[in-house]
Amino acid sequence: MTRHHPDSLTLMEYSAGNLSEARALCIRLHLDQCPHCRSRVDTLDSLGAVMMDHQPTVSVDDGSFEQLMARIDAGPEMASPVAYKPRQNPLQKLLGQDINDLPWKRQLGDVSVLDITAKFGDRSEQVVLQKLSAGGKAPAHTHRGDETTIILQGAFSDQNGVFNQWDFVCLDHNDEHRPVAVGHEDCITLSVLSAPLKLTGTFTRFLNPFIR
Amino acid sequence: MIATKTRSHHVTVKERPVTTLDQQPAKSEGRKDPWGALLERVGKHQDREAYQALFKQFAPQIKYYAISNGLASHAEELVQEVFISIWRRSCLYDWRKAAASTWIFTIARNQRIDMLRKMQRSSAEMNVETEDLWQIPGDNENDPVTSLHRLMSERRIRESLSHLPEEQITVIAKVYMEHKSHQMVADELGIPLGTVKSRVRLALNKLKVILQDQNV
Repeated sequence: MTRHHPDSLTLMEYSAGNLSEARALCIRLHLDQCPHCRSRVDTLDSLGAVMMDHQPTVSVDDGSFEQLMARIDAGPEMASPVAYKPRQNPLQKLLGQDINDLPWKRQLGDVSVLDITAKFGDRSEQVVLQKLSAGGKAPAHTHRGDETTIILQGAFSDQNGVFNQWDFVCLDHNDEHRPVAVGHEDCITLSVLSAPLKLTGTFTRFLNPFIR
Repeated sequence: MIATKTRSHHVTVKERPVTTLDQQPAKSEGRKDPWGALLERVGKHQDREAYQALFKQFAPQIKYYAISNGLASHAEELVQEVFISIWRRSCLYDWRKAAASTWIFTIARNQRIDMLRKMQRSSAEMNVETEDLWQIPGDNENDPVTSLHRLMSERRIRESLSHLPEEQITVIAKVYMEHKSHQMVADELGIPLGTVKSRVRLALNKLKVILQDQNV
């Protein structure tokens, strides 16, 4: 179980570029709001640079640099400087709309879900948005192995404490909890689940980490 | 695996990097590293001499990185893409925000991810770019507060790495250079996942990379 911040091993896999796009998205959303973890990733990126330097080298082909310069000289679209871009929320870019305006599907009582797995290339994981209405309660439930969640809006509390916007939570089957949305906003989370899925009639109910 | 793949290439185990550049920058440059100074020359003046010096230093590293990541037949292409990206992004590079080699590592990583994304592209196009997910240090922020820490941390890691046991370096190298998850490293070395994780944690502890882990 990891709560509030990703652990160093996960950040290392992020820094090494080894996470799936969906899990990288969760980390990136957290990093954009957490200077503490950004600094940890900077250090891990430096470790990557030092590892690269520590390895053997392989000579490039003859004329490799000349070929590079020829490409740069060939067209401005190839060589034009990249403009500074203000930070943009990558999830909003992915969804193309505000998370509150999505076609949410009410699941059970206070819980709504939206499966966005299709937005990602990797189908071995399931990616779901979940919404617990302001003040709402989710039934007690446990989690499947290796579930990564980031809180996008609002907050929830359970027996372990209060989890606020941009907090990062990893839960597994040992973590039974009964979250309650606190504050005046709906609590919206993004979760990545690794367990393989069976497409059955109870599919949507089965996948919902809030209500399992 | 890697040894067989790289046999056809000229693999040279590196000694000290050979360069004619002044390794000890002038005092007025503060903690700017020599590669950072070159990157800034590329960014500000499209300085080709500086660019070539960076190419000589980093292109052979990136080529090895490509091969060890299983991209042997695309290694030259990856080197080209990384350097095109360095040329185009160098105007955004700020030595106070990242050491040059750290910055270049993240560019190489992103171009590797980009290349794999293009090769594996399914019919569902993801409208989010690699750099929206994988951050280049200092790109989208304006807080040079931790910059000194960043530069110092790279030096510290470089110095501490020589004191790490080989088994820890091997595990970290597989994660960074061979695109392997901790689980894949465990499978390959035939050791339990817990052992891989504890080796990584021991190494990160010694490298002082673990900064107040919440749950370790």
